Amino acid sequence: MLSTVPLNAGRRRVFGSVFSPASLEARPPLASSFDHDQAALASFQSTASFATLKVDSQTGSFVSAHETTDPLSDHETWDQAWSAATAFLSIPDHGFAPIYEARDTDGSEMLRAWNRLTPPSKETADSLSYLAAATQQTNTLQGGASSRGLFSWYSDEIRRHFLTNLRGGLYEVLHSSDKSGLLRTIVDCLQLAFRLYLAPIRHYLLPLIPASEQSRIFTQLQRGFHTVVSYSLPWLQISPLLTQEFAQDALIILGIDTLLEDPDSDDEEQDEMEVDGEYSVSYCDWKHANAETRAHMMTEHENNEVTMARDRLLAFLNGLQLVGLGGDKAQKVFANVMNIMMTEFIRAAYTSQWEAPTSVPQHLRHWVENVFARLAVQVLNIIHTQPSNQPAGTLDVSFTDVEKWQEIAVSRLGALRASELFDVIVEWPTSTGAVEDLKHFTTHPAARTYVTQSFIAILNQRLLHPGASTVEILQLYISIIRAFHLLDPKGVLLDRIARPIRRYLRDREDTVKVIVSGLLAEPPTDDTSDLPSSHDTLVELSTELSKAHQLSLQTNTSELDWDDMNWMPDPVDAAPDYRKSKSSDVIDSLISLFDSKETFVKELQTLLGDRLLQKREDYDQEISVLELLKVRFGDSALQACQVMLRDISDSRRVDHSIRHDQDLHAKILSRFFWPEIQDQEFIVPEEISSLQERYSEGFEALKQSRKLTWRNGLGQVTVELELGDRSFSNEVTTWQATVIHAFNSTTENEQEPISKSILDLSTDLKMASALVRSACLFWVSKRILVETSRDTFRVLEFLPTEAEVAEGSANNDGGAGGITADAGDAAAAAEAAAAAAAKETAEAAAMEKMNLYWQFILGMLTNQGAMNLQKIVMMLKIVVPGGFPFSNEELREFLAGMVSKGKLEIVSGGSYKLVH
Amino acid sequence: MDYTMEDSQNSAPDALEATKLNNSGQRTETQSVTKRLQAELMQLMLSPSPGISAFPDGDGNLLSWTATITGPTETPYENLNLKLSFSFPNTYPYSAPTVLFKTPIYHPNVDFSGRICLDILKDKWSAVYNVQTVLLSLQSLLGEPNNASPLNAQAAELWDNDQEEFKRQVLARHLDLDDE
Repeated sequence: MLSTVPLNAGRRRVFGSVFSPASLEARPPLASSFDHDQAALASFQSTASFATLKVDSQTGSFVSAHETTDPLSDHETWDQAWSAATAFLSIPDHGFAPIYEARDTDGSEMLRAWNRLTPPSKETADSLSYLAAATQQTNTLQGGASSRGLFSWYSDEIRRHFLTNLRGGLYEVLHSSDKSGLLRTIVDCLQLAFRLYLAPIRHYLLPLIPASEQSRIFTQLQRGFHTVVSYSLPWLQISPLLTQEFAQDALIILGIDTLLEDPDSDDEEQDEMEVDGEYSVSYCDWKHANAETRAHMMTEHENNEVTMARDRLLAFLNGLQLVGLGGDKAQKVFANVMNIMMTEFIRAAYTSQWEAPTSVPQHLRHWVENVFARLAVQVLNIIHTQPSNQPAGTLDVSFTDVEKWQEIAVSRLGALRASELFDVIVEWPTSTGAVEDLKHFTTHPAARTYVTQSFIAILNQRLLHPGASTVEILQLYISIIRAFHLLDPKGVLLDRIARPIRRYLRDREDTVKVIVSGLLAEPPTDDTSDLPSSHDTLVELSTELSKAHQLSLQTNTSELDWDDMNWMPDPVDAAPDYRKSKSSDVIDSLISLFDSKETFVKELQTLLGDRLLQKREDYDQEISVLELLKVRFGDSALQACQVMLRDISDSRRVDHSIRHDQDLHAKILSRFFWPEIQDQEFIVPEEISSLQERYSEGFEALKQSRKLTWRNGLGQVTVELELGDRSFSNEVTTWQATVIHAFNSTTENEQEPISKSILDLSTDLKMASALVRSACLFWVSKRILVETSRDTFRVLEFLPTEAEVAEGSANNDGGAGGITADAGDAAAAAEAAAAAAAKETAEAAAMEKMNLYWQFILGMLTNQGAMNLQKIVMMLKIVVPGGFPFSNEELREFLAGMVSKGKLEIVSGGSYKLVH
Repeated sequence: MDYTMEDSQNSAPDALEATKLNNSGQRTETQSVTKRLQAELMQLMLSPSPGISAFPDGDGNLLSWTATITGPTETPYENLNLKLSFSFPNTYPYSAPTVLFKTPIYHPNVDFSGRICLDILKDKWSAVYNVQTVLLSLQSLLGEPNNASPLNAQAAELWDNDQEEFKRQVLARHLDLDDE
């Protein structure tokens, strides 16, 4: 029998170690008569009907024999009964195919066909009850050896049948290419087989033995079946299939599938849901629902799909458990799947759900309790491990387990938020909810470290690179400050995050400039706030400045305030040089970027200077900003700025008193307090200079011992031009006005328009030629001048008519005819020329500065002896106030110039040495 | 029980506090000195006086400088380059810098290790003095030694009695440090 099973030696050994050889080869222990064996053999090979016939033929004598107590006839009767019973119970070898085909039916037909439901004939029933009774007797008399006889025989029979008939088939099914629903098929087959095996026992044999024995024997048989199943189906192949099955249904039951497809069908469904209070796990729906609906949303009105999936899964698991594939192995798989599902749900439900106020954690806890835990309880109820170990009625899932799951879920949510943090902050302040969620997560140091480290990594990758503009970085930094202040009011996390950002910002050259211009920017008024804020200024800063002003007035209690009853020690994970900041003061953080305030004050001065020199009605904005900054920097630091402001207001008064109905207004600046102003030197027209003189006289009369030096390059002039056919009036710069003034017709009736070359103008006006060119091009763009030939301009008294333009261009053959020059092009050219002129002056200023540096170099080389280039640069960087702005190359060039002038010589080792 | 441990723990905050206080105090002090010296340097650079020059040493802080005085004409030190070292205390300008001649010099008011006897560097120091004024004083001291309180009595005597010999001594003692 067993030899028909294809077992190789190795397997046999393994098998043998599990099932003792004795049990495998167990024979009915008594009357090891040959004919019993034969009968058994025959019954195995014969058809069921034949066996039944055979049993029928034997019945007559043995009912009576049962009653007799004669040992010999007892033995014989036993033999007869045994063969009748085994013939009845033996399982026909129909192979795997019938079972496979019948797997979808309820199986009763199949059972009938296999003769498993036919009630035993009278005789068989008698013999069964005889054996059962004998079991009872022998139980007491012979230690139960024979009682196990029949059942262990049947157990062997099951095993034999399974191995010969089912195993191969199942193996094939398991290896078929189509994996979907494969496990269900297998479980169905196994379930059918299980019924097939146990039906007669349950129906006819168990009622014959006492109730106390029934369950023991049944379990024994069941266990036998389970072992053989798990032996023939390797778990390694089952578990991925099981995972798949779990995942498939869990996705539906936990509502993850609807979340994933939600965005498309959102609108239509949402209305329905609100009306019906329909079942939903979506956070969106939940959030909008009122408290009452919330409570029921996940527990009631399950939609059909979910119910179906749940029923399907539970039915499947019932089968799984029944055929012995459940138990702790299945539990492990289930736990694994649920673990993945939780992450999946959180990802699907809460990604990009950042609105405040947040109720994500509540929703998540609710979900875990009502949906997640519910499924877990239901599933674990079925695939329990040892039902006997537990008293009836206890759940496999305790409430503390649920609480733990909730904790896990919340920390998963935290991990999700941590990974989203950068985008959250980009979206700030519409994403405050996400930070609140994160707050639930950053409760212990490890999580805090995780958040900061992952965030810093993202920052380095996405923000702190040359592609991001300083404004963007600062804007984000402000958002970070606000977000992390909400997350951790103590500021430890911010302190950690801010370090790399601050370090990076310090390296950026334009940081100060951006901050200061942001501070001075006009705060957005209500009508402009809708417009996308300009990308080159940080308007927030000025708003912040006026807003944060109140906060900063509160005295900042220091570490040394012994009376501070609210004092708290620094948090444990704070950095050694962590400083507590009471408020999320953005301005303060930005100002403290740099060690000294001087950089800021200097930049502020420059910018303030530019703004104050503009012609404007009032300077309230500047004044208020300065007042606010004074609170932070202190009066002394901003003294220069204050003087600048006072200069402006004073000069207005002075202007009033000096002016003798003149059209000349002046701003009187105290040279010492203003930043260096780049000026263009040139001679102003005589009319103006006489006005200037009178003005100066008036001023000197008013303020004795003070003298005016005119800065001709700065200022605005209202120019009115009378041309042959039109007039022009506009506000232009002084040098532009001076240049056009030079074209002024001296006599009214002069017919020929005045024409001048740049060279002439440059010498006449003592103006830099680049500047002259720029001014001329400006007037060309206004169609006042035309460039007749290169660097020669003429007044355009009469605008050419269309025809003339066409003619002119035809005559010129599209050459460099200035007449047809497009005004737009000219404007662009004028701009470029102005830029070039500005650059020229800047370079001149730089050269001027270089002379100062030369003094430094001179002092250095005189006192410290010969030095090489690196050392000179290093020293200059240390000693020059405000740093040394030139590169090594520029300095080398400069020094080379000095060498050629004979002031320096290069000695051994490339060092520079002064020539005495 | 390890009581020392406990003690140190108890005392730690105080110590920390103290260092914090000191640090901040010291820092502001150093900063103000640095600021002052930077301003002085700037002044020297913007309006250099003939014959004197000074510059910080390359050690990163501004507290030690080297200065150069060119010997004034019509003195025995004519055309000699004399190097000095300035070392500023943290309390500068409320205390005087320590000034030494680095170049060996033969002078009635300077001893052989370069120490200088000059009232404004000692008890007459005032915060209005600066590097430039000190250097100018020293420059004039070269031409007009104060023989009333000599450090080098022989030099004082020679200065009064034998200018020729004095000049010979000066040149004999002089060693141009630049050539090192």
